[in-house]
Amino acid sequence: MFESAKFIISKLAKDRTSLVGACLIAGLILIALFAPLLAPYPQDVTEFHPPERLLGPSMSHFFGTDRMGSDIFSRMLFGARITIAIAVIAIGVSVLIGVPIGLIAGYNKNWISDGLMRVSDIFLAVPQIILAIAIAQTLGPSIENVILALSATYWPFWARLVYAETRSALTETYVEASIALGASPFRVMVFHVLPNISSSIIVRTTIGMGGTILTAAALGFLGLGPPAPSPEWGRTIAESREFLPEAWWYATAPGVAIFLVVMGFNLFGDGLRDILDPRTRRSHDG
Amino acid sequence: MRVLVLILNRMLWFVPTLIGLMIITFTISHIIPADPVAFFAGENATAEQIEALRARYGFDKPLHIQLVNYLIGVTQGDLGISIYTQRPISEDLLARLPATMELTFMAVFFSTIVGVPLGVFAAVYRNSFLDHFLRVLTVSGLAIASFWLAILFQLLFAMELQITPLQGRIDGWGPEPITGFFILDSLIVADWESLKSALSHLVLPTLTLAFPAMATIVRFTRAGVLDAINSNYVLYEQAMGLPSNLIIWKYVLRNALIGTVTQIGLIFGILIAGAVVVEAVFDWPGLGLYAVEAILNSDYNAIMGFTLVTGAFFIIVNLVVDILHGVIDPRTQG
Amino acid sequence: MKYLKVFKALMLSVALTAVSIMGVSTNSFAKSKFVFANSSPYDTLDPHVIYDVGRVASRLNMYDGLMRWLDNPPQLTPWLAESYEISADGKTYTFKLRKGATFHDGSPVEAKDVVYSIERILALKKGAVSLFSKSIEPGSTQAPDNHTVVFNLNAASSIFLATVPAIHVVNSDLLKSKEVDGDWGGTWLSKNEAGSGSFELTRYDPAIGFQAKRYANHFMGWGDKYLDEIEFRTVKEINSRVLGLLNGDFHGTDGYLPQDQVKRLKADSNMNVLEEESMRIFYSIIHNGRKPFDDVNLRKALSYAFDYDAFINNILSGSVARNPVPVPNNIWGNPKDAKGYTYDLEKAKEYLAKVKGPIPEITIGALAGYGQTEQAAALLQNGLSKIGLKSKIVAEPWSVASKKMRDEQQMYDMLWLWRSTYYADPNNWVGEMYACDQVGARNNSWYCKPEVDKLLMEARVEPDQAKRAANYEKAAKMVTDDAGGIFVYNTKWFGPYNKKVKGVRFSPIGNAQEMRWVHME
Repeated sequence: MFESAKFIISKLAKDRTSLVGACLIAGLILIALFAPLLAPYPQDVTEFHPPERLLGPSMSHFFGTDRMGSDIFSRMLFGARITIAIAVIAIGVSVLIGVPIGLIAGYNKNWISDGLMRVSDIFLAVPQIILAIAIAQTLGPSIENVILALSATYWPFWARLVYAETRSALTETYVEASIALGASPFRVMVFHVLPNISSSIIVRTTIGMGGTILTAAALGFLGLGPPAPSPEWGRTIAESREFLPEAWWYATAPGVAIFLVVMGFNLFGDGLRDILDPRTRRSHDG
Repeated sequence: MRVLVLILNRMLWFVPTLIGLMIITFTISHIIPADPVAFFAGENATAEQIEALRARYGFDKPLHIQLVNYLIGVTQGDLGISIYTQRPISEDLLARLPATMELTFMAVFFSTIVGVPLGVFAAVYRNSFLDHFLRVLTVSGLAIASFWLAILFQLLFAMELQITPLQGRIDGWGPEPITGFFILDSLIVADWESLKSALSHLVLPTLTLAFPAMATIVRFTRAGVLDAINSNYVLYEQAMGLPSNLIIWKYVLRNALIGTVTQIGLIFGILIAGAVVVEAVFDWPGLGLYAVEAILNSDYNAIMGFTLVTGAFFIIVNLVVDILHGVIDPRTQG
Repeated sequence: MKYLKVFKALMLSVALTAVSIMGVSTNSFAKSKFVFANSSPYDTLDPHVIYDVGRVASRLNMYDGLMRWLDNPPQLTPWLAESYEISADGKTYTFKLRKGATFHDGSPVEAKDVVYSIERILALKKGAVSLFSKSIEPGSTQAPDNHTVVFNLNAASSIFLATVPAIHVVNSDLLKSKEVDGDWGGTWLSKNEAGSGSFELTRYDPAIGFQAKRYANHFMGWGDKYLDEIEFRTVKEINSRVLGLLNGDFHGTDGYLPQDQVKRLKADSNMNVLEEESMRIFYSIIHNGRKPFDDVNLRKALSYAFDYDAFINNILSGSVARNPVPVPNNIWGNPKDAKGYTYDLEKAKEYLAKVKGPIPEITIGALAGYGQTEQAAALLQNGLSKIGLKSKIVAEPWSVASKKMRDEQQMYDMLWLWRSTYYADPNNWVGEMYACDQVGARNNSWYCKPEVDKLLMEARVEPDQAKRAANYEKAAKMVTDDAGGIFVYNTKWFGPYNKKVKGVRFSPIGNAQEMRWVHME
């Protein structure tokens, strides 16, 4: 396992775009961890200075100030925490729900598996964003509810993926062999099938992070995310609208932040996919 | 034969899937803490007045009875009355459908006629400046939040340069409603003012919606063309001395287009999801905005109606795409 | 290579076509058509089911009442009625209708139409009904002859006259002919009109707005300058309304825009921004019925923890007037000498120390989509944290908040909102907001103190305005001393109009949306 990990890392390091992606992700994590130290005005997450509202970018305020006079740069750094928390937990929960469901459905060939797949189909039949909005609105605007809404709409993707992979893994000889040797379904699924499809899951997870972050930002934009005065990026963009075009920095900063983060995950995910999943490699020899 | 089995299987599951969808949506929309009936009874309503209104909409019956009544109504084409607009939801949806279709069609059209040639050129002139530039653009296209892109476009083109309108579908009342598609209707009655207005209002929403779709199309076309160029068939034709231009247009492009067509399902998904947010930002009176408003207003019936219609639509589109996929590309069968 | 050229040519021609099509929108409005951009949609035209400020234009322009509020300070002016008499016991109001007023279909406006209208309001139980349901029984209003209407109230009421303009008179014959299933013609009237007003409906689409043309036979007559057509359109985004005004697409929009936008409009040479003091107070409800908010010390602490100056001078750029009591500064009944509260954290801590028992996390409500309420909530939260109180902000749409406001359990601890003018009488504010009989309806503070209530109830039946004024002043002072809520400012109306628009008459009721006085140069 570690051999392959070292191999993967060395290959990744050689691919420029993946490297850029990895750097962006690392940057996000570092910012989220050290926001209180990096931010010039960490107290501006909850404190306001109305006399200084809507000032343009300057040496003291890199991205200017918002409608309550708070430093936008500092607030964006703290917004990274929210973004990471939402993305990681939401994806984590969807994976934890979707993967077992996919495994069980893929392993069995009875009405249970059909039923599970039908339920996933139902969830997939509506545009994800609509379902997420409906759930988030029902439960009320908060960070926990955004996570819940996203988990509820994303688990079918993993269920579907794992189901397909499991089905094809079942045709592999080593799996058939272990079943013939009397291994319990649990053993087969966890110790034989899962390790083999883990690369697909990892690739899909990384690529899925980007989409999750975008949907979370859209929910924040519509007012369904963490409430004021949270520095969540989507919410900040919504707040900025009534002050455009004069306060252009107000909308630009959070948007660029979202862009960089999603780019990071997309690039890194693409790189991972090219290495771990050569079958689906896109011809992008650079 | 496989295709037939596929179709039959899907159609068998069509109705149960929709019913499952209804149950989920129903459950979701009825845990809502807001009381839309109280809202529309007005701030002066007393408790009795609210109850009376609730009875009128049938909201006083136990939940499972409401669900059954609703399902029965659906089979008769009655999707209920929107609490917000006080009109039948089927009417509302039908009225809003052309707006979304016009926008989506323009987005598909634009992203295809721009995206496909770009993808071909990126592949043919591989590693040129254009190719690298497009790589950056397409990766960005999928990383940008649609609502942010919409606001940026508004900021630049509508507010700073003032060459497009800020939002909405048209200024004023629009052309005589014949099909509901403003462009068609204005052409039919030669209403040039409306045509101008409709087109200018379409620019920004179409660009915003098309951006991620175009990114996908460019990528897939490029990949498809590269695969084709590197294939043995093309090598053979080149060896035979056929001019490369002819090869590109006759064979490569066709293959590339086939690849794009089979990705339509994916593109469609992007467009529909994008349409919701884009319509919200541009105040585009289509189905996406209808859904957002219905949810934020806790308009139960409208939420259910919208989910039912889009769900059915999605399932059909996926079915068509799967069929196309199976028929056109026998390699990926099964 | 050739294909690159073809591609470039194609893209170029597409771009050229696009640019030529976009162009600049030509504004070929007839000289006397006025277009107004409204923030809320006109989802129904029925004047008896809606009574909000956002949709007032349809009622004001297409319908008439017995009386009408005009100008600032608001004057109650005879309209369809030419005179009225009040009986000695204050329970009977007799109105004499003027002769010659007609509906848009030509039929005369008669007493039976007025009776039908009030009965309709009482039956539909929507819109302005709460103004009348307590004092008028269905069937008690009479029309002894074609031009006399008699209202028989079940108790003397000093506010009845002020609320009479809310009875919009509808064409009873026409509506009766459109009735379906006992709906009082509601289905038809939501999309049509049956009025006698200065303008008659020509076009309506709930998603777009409405158009109306001048009704030449209106009883008030017309000078030689007037508007031929008016159009009220829904444009939700603030920025779109402002840009549209600057472009000349619209001639006017609502006067409660954020100050940054007002400055922008003032700076434009084609714009004329009118300024008036309105009657629309901005305040925070405090849930007086819930512990520990029933303790006046806590409420005082809250009142001293809000930075009024920062809010008014910085966030609102000094565009509003500080109004420390629950009655607007510019109406009678306002206690001119009331001091109100200031931002004083020391005093806040003093009062906080007197509060017994623990204070849970305070829920501050705001209205989603109304930036000011969210900013006020954030500012309050800031102040509270400085005195050691924890709070959280909940921003919900009006549909959610307005329901929670009526339920004692669901109501937030505090909620930021405005109180507009429905009728120009202090009862519209302190008289409803803090009266015991309005708890759960128009009193969403669960505030009920016998000394205050006595003053308010007396004022509702006392015919002498001076005495009423004294009561309201006293009551307002008491509520303020008791910190029943946090009272911040009274709104100023900044009405932006194209400079060609002349004759705008502003009243806090109607917000200058009555177009019969306006003409365009």
